[in-house]
Amino acid sequence: MQIPQPDIVALSSVALLVSTFGVVVRRSFAGWLSAYRYQSIVLAGSTGLIAYATGVWEIYAAAVLTLLVKAIVIPRLLVRVTEGVNDEFKIEANPYVSIRLSVLISALLVALSYALVQEILPSAGLDGLAAAAYLPVSLSLFFIGLFVMVSRRMALNQVVGLLIIENGLFLFTTALTNGVSLIIEVGILADILVGVMISSLLLLRMNQTFDTLDIGRLEKLKDD
Amino acid sequence: MVVWSNLLTIAGEVIIPSGWSALLLTVLLTPAAAVVLVTLTHRKRIAEAVTAVSVLLIVFQVLGLVAGVIDDRQLSAYGELLYLDALGALILIPIAGVGFVAALYSVNYMGRQYERGIVDDRHIVRYYQGFNGFMLTMLLVPLANNMGLMWVAIEATTLVSVFMIMLYTTEGAIEAAWKYLMIATVGLSLALFGIVLFSYANTSAVPSSSGMDWTSMVANSGLLNSGVVKVAFVFVLVGLGTKAGLAPMHTWLPDAHGEAPTPVSALLSGVLLNCAIYGVLRFYIITSGTVGTAFPGELLTLLGLLSMGIAAASIYFQKDMKRLLAYSSVEHMGIVSIAVAFGGFLGLFAALLHIINHAIAKPLMFFASGTVSQRYGTKTMVEIKGIVKVMPVTGTLLLLGGLAIAGMPPFNIFLSEFLVMTAGFGTGQFLVTSVMIILLVVVFAGFLRHLVPMVFGNPASGKAVPTEKGTGTDGMGAFAVVPMLILAALVIVLGFYIPQPLQTLIRDATQVFAQGAASK
Repeated sequence: MQIPQPDIVALSSVALLVSTFGVVVRRSFAGWLSAYRYQSIVLAGSTGLIAYATGVWEIYAAAVLTLLVKAIVIPRLLVRVTEGVNDEFKIEANPYVSIRLSVLISALLVALSYALVQEILPSAGLDGLAAAAYLPVSLSLFFIGLFVMVSRRMALNQVVGLLIIENGLFLFTTALTNGVSLIIEVGILADILVGVMISSLLLLRMNQTFDTLDIGRLEKLKDD
Repeated sequence: MVVWSNLLTIAGEVIIPSGWSALLLTVLLTPAAAVVLVTLTHRKRIAEAVTAVSVLLIVFQVLGLVAGVIDDRQLSAYGELLYLDALGALILIPIAGVGFVAALYSVNYMGRQYERGIVDDRHIVRYYQGFNGFMLTMLLVPLANNMGLMWVAIEATTLVSVFMIMLYTTEGAIEAAWKYLMIATVGLSLALFGIVLFSYANTSAVPSSSGMDWTSMVANSGLLNSGVVKVAFVFVLVGLGTKAGLAPMHTWLPDAHGEAPTPVSALLSGVLLNCAIYGVLRFYIITSGTVGTAFPGELLTLLGLLSMGIAAASIYFQKDMKRLLAYSSVEHMGIVSIAVAFGGFLGLFAALLHIINHAIAKPLMFFASGTVSQRYGTKTMVEIKGIVKVMPVTGTLLLLGGLAIAGMPPFNIFLSEFLVMTAGFGTGQFLVTSVMIILLVVVFAGFLRHLVPMVFGNPASGKAVPTEKGTGTDGMGAFAVVPMLILAALVIVLGFYIPQPLQTLIRDATQVFAQGAASK
């Protein structure tokens, strides 16, 4: 079965990229979270689209789980956990790379992703895939997430970066393999969920012990 | 009635596989049951007992699995969802063995932390929940045939071990846990990219294949698209290499291994690194079936030499005892990678033997240094003097373990390192082997430089003053000394002689590597 309107894939790709840039340009935790939530909803829709195109029921299940875990549970969890955190640590006031430059670099990363997909994946083999168009987008999400993680000071921003990486990974996996088995999908989602719980616990500890969430100040452990 | 009992039997066989394969399931259920029991009972004593029984049962079941693999070459259950061959069995041995001694040592070590008020009842229960959960996730790694499931298991080991490092609320522990969580998770997401690419290469070459299964990938390895496989292997190597502590992705390792509770450090260094290296080896086999051993071998050699070099320098100038041991793990993972790259029967045999030997000597060192630092109240090496006078047993064992880990004959590490060198010269890799020898000498000098004053100096000349005098077991209790004695005995015995079953198992495991080469 073909996807009814090819434009839907293009539109959702754009939506995914816009939400990723939302994380890059915004300075506040609430902003990142709403961008992430928006991205996860589109991701669930894209997954549903892949399920429709391939007719594999397991991918529908993965889409529903994505919606539940990533668009509802994780954002709520993060908001709850950070209620007690000082507002000062929820804002990226002084990132290692300025926001303006970040946008430029992110755009370059998107271009790089498109080039990479053409380079490493032989185009002949991609014809059989229902949603090959998602591959470069998924790589973009991955790279931009990685960039956000290394270019920002605030621990909360790193968590969001990690979540974007995971979203990219999820899209890449679903698009390239037409859905791995449901056990694995559930396993990966469970890993993400537990990972978010553990990092929130760590965030709270860090807040209590160091009285900051600026990871630039974590510098006790060194070989000297 | 007869119909019902027949149905029950059939259902029973579907749920519980028959023969040796049944152990594939029960060995996973044992630690899972232990987690549940510890959580429900919530008592320190019960948690200790449950954990000890659980690891003992795991040891017996792993012995059964090893016997089964030696007999039948491979075991599988649930349509090869769980699968065990000689290579996996070889990784199971240190998981069970080190798990066992670490559980015994925990009773003493965590008990002492408890007496000193560093941890309370809640922490102890959480510790044993984590310990059993850690065993469960590590055991799943070599048992999973589906490489996606293996990835889920490895990612789960990260989460559980971060949870255990977080047990202490010191600044160091929090920083280490954060770095470890972030770096390992990003690394592993790279690895999953690679694994998915492998699976894509498999299904696009053979559409009917069950994509992510290792058995399917290795059977088809001769048919895969070589460009995709090369890229995929780089992703997997960088990703799982991060978790295995290969330089330059090792930066989290000294922090995490240094700040974790000592029994956990022993598990992280002696066992978890092997699980990650095991993952790399699985994909090395597939890749060598597609593009030959030259490409993945060169990459492994490069990372291996880099790891050895960085580790040698850090060991020589190290100040903290546990970080010293952590860097030594980086060095040994480097040696294993290079030995695999040397290849041939001897290279692979040496690599696999070295994994086992390192898994014996490193926990010994961590246990000894943990006992020492509890007594002296510091991990800084220059402040510790004259261990052998204060704690004769521990001091001797620390020296023995230190000499062994630095590669001194006649201990076990020397034997496997010697085999690695022989393999290197035998395959004509003179330059690489010579560099290795130089780096090993630096490591040896570094270890002696730190160990000798610590063990033999005058106790009064050190900054740190040891607390209470010890007697028979150095006043540390049998649970601290017995695990070390078991490991020390193995360090000595395996230096002279490799038991027949272990030899057979390693030989069979080198055959697993031939599967990749055969399909080329």
